[in-house]
Amino acid sequence: MRWVIRRIGVSLVLVWIVASIVFLALRCVPGDPAELLLSQGGAAPDPAAVAQLREQLGLDRPIWTQYFASFDALLHGDFGNSLQDDSPVATEIWRRLPRTLELIAASTVIALITGLPLGLAAALRQGGLFDRIASWIAAAGLAVPLFVVGTLLVLVFAQGLHWVSAGGYVPLAQAPGRHFALLAMPAVTIALGLFATVFRMTRAAVLDVSMRDYVRTARAKGLRHGRIVIHHVLRNALIPVVTVLALQLGTLLGGTVLVEYVFNYPGLSGMLVEAVNARDYPEVEGIVLVISILFVTLNLLIDLLYGVLDPRVRQA
Amino acid sequence: MRRPNLIPVGAVAAIAIVALAVPVLGLPNPTAMSIAHRMAASSAAHWLGQDEYGRDVLSRLLWGARVSLPVAAASATAACLLGTALGLAGGYLGRVAELLALRGTDVVLCFPPLLLALLVVTILGPGAATLIPVLTLVFLPGFVRVVYAGVLSVRSQEYIDAMRVLGAGRLRIMLRTILPNIAGPILVQYSLAAASAVVLESGLSFLGLGVLPPAPSWGLMIAAARSTMTQAPLLLLWPCLALSLTILAMNALCDALRDATDPHRAPDRLPRRLLNLLASGLPPAHGPLLDVRNLTIEIDTPDGPIQPVRDVSLSVAPGTTLAVVGESGSGKTLTGLAVMGLLPSVARVAGGAVRMEGQDVPRLNEAALRRLRGDRMAMVFQDPLSSLNPVHRVGAQIAEIIHAHRALPDSVARDRVVALLRRVGIPDPARRARAYPHELSGGMRQRAMIAMAIANDPKLLIADEPTTALDVTIQAQVLDLLAGLKREHGMGLVLITHSLPVVAEIADQVAVMYAGEIVEQGSVAEVLARPLHPYTAALLRSAPAEDGSMPDSILGTVPPPHALPPGCVFGPRCGLHTALCDAARPPLIDARPGHGTRCIRWRDLVAVELHPCADERHPRAVERHPRARPEDQPVQARCQTVGPLRVSRDPRVEPEDDGNGAAAPEDDRNGTAVPGDDGDGAAAPKNDWHGAAVP
Repeated sequence: MRWVIRRIGVSLVLVWIVASIVFLALRCVPGDPAELLLSQGGAAPDPAAVAQLREQLGLDRPIWTQYFASFDALLHGDFGNSLQDDSPVATEIWRRLPRTLELIAASTVIALITGLPLGLAAALRQGGLFDRIASWIAAAGLAVPLFVVGTLLVLVFAQGLHWVSAGGYVPLAQAPGRHFALLAMPAVTIALGLFATVFRMTRAAVLDVSMRDYVRTARAKGLRHGRIVIHHVLRNALIPVVTVLALQLGTLLGGTVLVEYVFNYPGLSGMLVEAVNARDYPEVEGIVLVISILFVTLNLLIDLLYGVLDPRVRQA
Repeated sequence: MRRPNLIPVGAVAAIAIVALAVPVLGLPNPTAMSIAHRMAASSAAHWLGQDEYGRDVLSRLLWGARVSLPVAAASATAACLLGTALGLAGGYLGRVAELLALRGTDVVLCFPPLLLALLVVTILGPGAATLIPVLTLVFLPGFVRVVYAGVLSVRSQEYIDAMRVLGAGRLRIMLRTILPNIAGPILVQYSLAAASAVVLESGLSFLGLGVLPPAPSWGLMIAAARSTMTQAPLLLLWPCLALSLTILAMNALCDALRDATDPHRAPDRLPRRLLNLLASGLPPAHGPLLDVRNLTIEIDTPDGPIQPVRDVSLSVAPGTTLAVVGESGSGKTLTGLAVMGLLPSVARVAGGAVRMEGQDVPRLNEAALRRLRGDRMAMVFQDPLSSLNPVHRVGAQIAEIIHAHRALPDSVARDRVVALLRRVGIPDPARRARAYPHELSGGMRQRAMIAMAIANDPKLLIADEPTTALDVTIQAQVLDLLAGLKREHGMGLVLITHSLPVVAEIADQVAVMYAGEIVEQGSVAEVLARPLHPYTAALLRSAPAEDGSMPDSILGTVPPPHALPPGCVFGPRCGLHTALCDAARPPLIDARPGHGTRCIRWRDLVAVELHPCADERHPRAVERHPRARPEDQPVQARCQTVGPLRVSRDPRVEPEDDGNGAAAPEDDRNGTAVPGDDGDGAAAPKNDWHGAAVP
């Protein structure tokens, strides 16, 4: 239990560091962000407008005041207002966050329910035809970038076969069937790369665990083949698979940025691209912060899962 | 580092060469537009056609490589140099540097890479000039960690100290000694970073936040072709292919480099054991519980097959104990595994038969073997920590073997587990049953292992060094327990050990193994009192003596199975060795009724033992060069080479603890007689105080 509390404490510190870095990074912009924002087009900006924007952004106050003020606002769930339409950033983030979370959850589930059994099957018949084919597919899955997969899926299934529309989003409550149909392509796109990683790691881990002494012990006990594979081999192979899943989290979250853009999916990451393009500082700050907190939280959850899977971790 | 697979190396080199050669290939200007020829199909002048602005696709594709690859190379190189410097500093310059280098770069890991890139692009604006520092930052923590870990593992090694003593400066030490040692992992990390940089660069360019138009970049080309993909799908295909194949080649290069630098890489393909479809032979009506006849085990190695076990015959009657004694690598564990049908996949039974209650084990199918294992026969493995599954509770692992063979309700099985743990002498068994293996002491794990093996009252128990990790009182308790099982259930016991006192205490028959064959076999009373093989005699001499003097060592080591001497395998270490011994592999002959030996000079051994000089110590120097003596020397001189045999008189009266304890390594509490623990295959003995490792 103490291990869990300590791990949560570390995560909180990480969130604080992330928030501070995001805050500082946007204030370390060479030159004055207000001036930079208004000087698009090469013309010198109107000094009055710059002063007004500085005041709006709070840039006229000392940096420490800004820091504490922004933290105070953050703790109250206030990320400031968008520079584009002056709407509160937090409202839009909370509206879009569940969509991105759903996308992440769907692709992780797809990757796990395909990668684990196929990795296990490939390892059990190591060197066989199935192993070779699946390994090639996994190598391809790692080599083809997400946005290429997404674009090709759109080309084939939306433009070519007209099975689904090229992108978009429908709320679940409105039309559940269409909701999942539209979720399928982006989720599969993200899942492909993750599948390749899960598959390779499962295969390698199963091969490694099969050589362990305790698997020999399990055989010496006269256990059924299926029980040895599930209870002794796969159960232990899950530990490195979870480790690699944690390492892939960053790629997974980054992947949502590209995929939401490709499929015009109105999630948090697609919003980020628009915000970066528009140099909407409060929005970028808010989204980067939320996604980073999500990243830290998912890492925490995986660490806790790790503790469930491996009793040796709980002591450390 | 082995030589890596050359195909991916060649592929990446080819891509790099193409990128370098692009300016001299005479391609059309990649940015020259020709609106009249928008999306023209391929032609002689434009092999892959023209894009939505009429620009040459092939030219843009090849020039695109000149954008992606330099960005990847520049950022990977910068991250590599900076990361190596920080890692070296962190690992070598003290706590403050360590904190700054490691924790400082770890902060980067709080952000998903693409997000970090977007944050920086927001601040600095898009463009290739922004990409390189961003990607450098993203890859930095990986390099710092790899280098730091490398420094930690290297810096404690002796040669670093040696260099320091020689007066080398810190910087020189770091550069000259540590860097070459960690070059492999850095190279792998570099290829990973470069491949990942290509992915990130193309992704950012695709979003319009990386390389800016009109510069040709694969990501940009894909983004542009998206809008026209229904009219001209090929425009989309070419950059997708170029990008994917480049990443595929770079990934393959990473894998090849990792394989080449990983010292623990598993062999490519393990030969499969062929399913033996032959039916098992008819069981004889009566006979021994276990009957092993002329068992030979073969292992395929890159240098051809080796036979680590040759022509081994053993038999165990119900209610008796057979001790198999020998040094590390003598093949005794492999023999035990063959009896259980548990040989590792690289090994197979090449000849002979193993009959358990009349059933030929190597020819049984897996289902029949499964019914036999854990029920009729069970095995206690050598290393209980690695032999117990780390993620399941000890009690559950014991209950599992009961459930596998008996349909019992959970509560009954649980009670039985607690009773078993109590029976092997584990205090507070109900609580220990809920513990994980890592929460128990070594001795308790060993006893849990034994409890597991005897859970179903097996007819045959193979115990591989069951008392090695135990202290003397527990050891006696375990031996009593095994003796009790023998009596009560008529269990046959095969005890694999190197401890002669244990043999003397519990065994009825003994087989002495050396380099894969049985060199002497007989009843314990016969063999220990009157050994008929020089190796057995030497083993007895190497047991701790009752008067507290240092035991004699056996010089030299067991020959590895791929380099067996001609003739007698013990010849090179034998004091009685003659030219005749090298003529042919000696057979196991019955020197006395029920007492077999593989020594052709066993009569001379008996003569030496009876000689008066046998009780004197002799100069070791004579022993070191046994072959220097003429073979036809009188017995008087030769007996020095054999040495005193006083211990062999009766090892049973030896005390357990004999004053040699201080010299013995900690894990040898049970009066080890043979150097080294038995790791079958590991030829070098661990405990070289026996002198066995010195050639």
